[in-house]
Amino acid sequence: MFSKPLFKATLKQNYVVFIIILAVLMLYLPIIIQMFDPSTQDTLDEMLKVLPQGLISAMGFSNVGSTLLGFVASYFYGFLILLLPMIYVIIVANRSIASHVDKGSMAYLLSTPNTRGKIARTQAGFLLISITLLLGIVTIVGILVSENLFPNELDIKGFLLLNLNTLLLYFALTGIGFFASCLFNDTKNSLALGAGLPVAFLVVQMLSNTGESVEFLKYFTLFTLLDSDKIINGEGYGINFVILIILAIILYASGLYVFKNRDLPL
Amino acid sequence: MSIIEINGITKDYGNRKGIFNLLFAVEKGEVFGYLGPNGAGKTTTIRHLLGFLTPDTGSAKILGMDCRKDSAEIMKHLGYLPAEIAFFDGMKGMDFLKFMGEMRGLANTSYRDALIEKFQLDTKGTIRKMSKGMKQKLGIICAFMHDPQVLILDEPTSGLDPLMQNIFAGLILEEKAKGKTILMSSHSFEEIEKTCDRIGIIRAGELVTTEDIHVLKTKRRKSYLITFDSPATASAFAKTDSFDNITLDGASAKVDVLGSVTRLMEALSGFTVIDFDTQKNSLEEVFMQYYGSTITEENATKQGGVR
Repeated sequence: MFSKPLFKATLKQNYVVFIIILAVLMLYLPIIIQMFDPSTQDTLDEMLKVLPQGLISAMGFSNVGSTLLGFVASYFYGFLILLLPMIYVIIVANRSIASHVDKGSMAYLLSTPNTRGKIARTQAGFLLISITLLLGIVTIVGILVSENLFPNELDIKGFLLLNLNTLLLYFALTGIGFFASCLFNDTKNSLALGAGLPVAFLVVQMLSNTGESVEFLKYFTLFTLLDSDKIINGEGYGINFVILIILAIILYASGLYVFKNRDLPL
Repeated sequence: MSIIEINGITKDYGNRKGIFNLLFAVEKGEVFGYLGPNGAGKTTTIRHLLGFLTPDTGSAKILGMDCRKDSAEIMKHLGYLPAEIAFFDGMKGMDFLKFMGEMRGLANTSYRDALIEKFQLDTKGTIRKMSKGMKQKLGIICAFMHDPQVLILDEPTSGLDPLMQNIFAGLILEEKAKGKTILMSSHSFEEIEKTCDRIGIIRAGELVTTEDIHVLKTKRRKSYLITFDSPATASAFAKTDSFDNITLDGASAKVDVLGSVTRLMEALSGFTVIDFDTQKNSLEEVFMQYYGSTITEENATKQGGVR
């Protein structure tokens, strides 16, 4: 099913990026949770007033709730969680297949008694496992820091759902990267789709937040399916979960199929 | 039984590129030299054998298994040296060999270590910083270390110095003695004539011929460059008329001889010879010798058109 030595080698190749992204997330998450302190809330509002309204909306900071969950959802899950792990996903997805094909090292992998399917499954598995681990650590640290600073303030069920929603969003995003990686011979093209599309989604997401006249843009970005409002209100989020799971399955399955059957320029 | 069978493979990339209705087989224990100029379709053929490409028509088999469908099974018995060497970033030589051993489920590393010794490779260095020759040695060790029955080597001696080329030729002969079946490609006749039993020549995607190496050698015209003591002696030698192919250049003469050189030696005995040298023939010249000038001219105009 999976190749253990390849998984190990892929881990060695990628752990530095993983640690850097995790470190930046770990730097921001406690700072943002700490800012919830009601005594500093006014200062924060003052500070935000200085900035142009459009910019604040674009970052998803506009509908700050009065609860800790709402606060974290808009300040951390509105922008940072979309940007930082996305960088990790783009790099690792491109390295998973396309970069091996581009460089020619895939010729070595395929000259061992491992099928193309097994190699692609191993790389897909690494993507899914590592992004789960990354967001899992964020979830656990988020809960620990919140409980430590503001005991019993965090709606833990809501926070878990919010993180599950994020994880499913990332399953779909890694799916795009993996599919692009399987489809193209060149890193250049793989990145054009695998990085271009998620970045475009993020830009469209930021635009669609800025006003009602451009709100229709939300139908053109996958990030709309990470809807913290629905989770905070406790209803209507299920459909987003289902769509993301189906997307992820389709993208990974197509990637595997394409890679198994296409001609490789090795 | 044929170990490697190519049954009428066509892979058309358009623009006369690709391979067309290729048909040949390599028998057990045979070393097959696959010869052709750059871009003739050698690597495309090898990619089919490795299962990287699906042919438009026809099929390829190794050990009776389909190269495209059963490639993982075939790889248990196959060693492959790609034309270009690329590895994981930052891997050291030994890391790579260990990694490839693990990917193959290889438990016994004694042959690997013997090969490292034989090629005097320093495996401690990072691959990225290795010279072309060192990378080539690493690739060779990787292809041979699991003692496979079948070997497919794409331009194996490129980047190797003459000493290492000899060591490599020795390794091929050893493996042949063990009954291994070997297919190796090259663009130079000299490179493979020492080790191969049979040679297939490919040009513009079509197999021109497969021929026993001994037959080729007897058919082969060799050029000798003879320098005399003066231009006068050279022209006097040219006038003896015993050879139809003499080109004069000052005091030196280029003579083409088919087969045995005894007659040339006898003819030279009456003259003062300062220097006697063999000229290496390019593949184009080898073509010209075997198939007459028409093929090469047609080839040259075709290539000229592409350029």
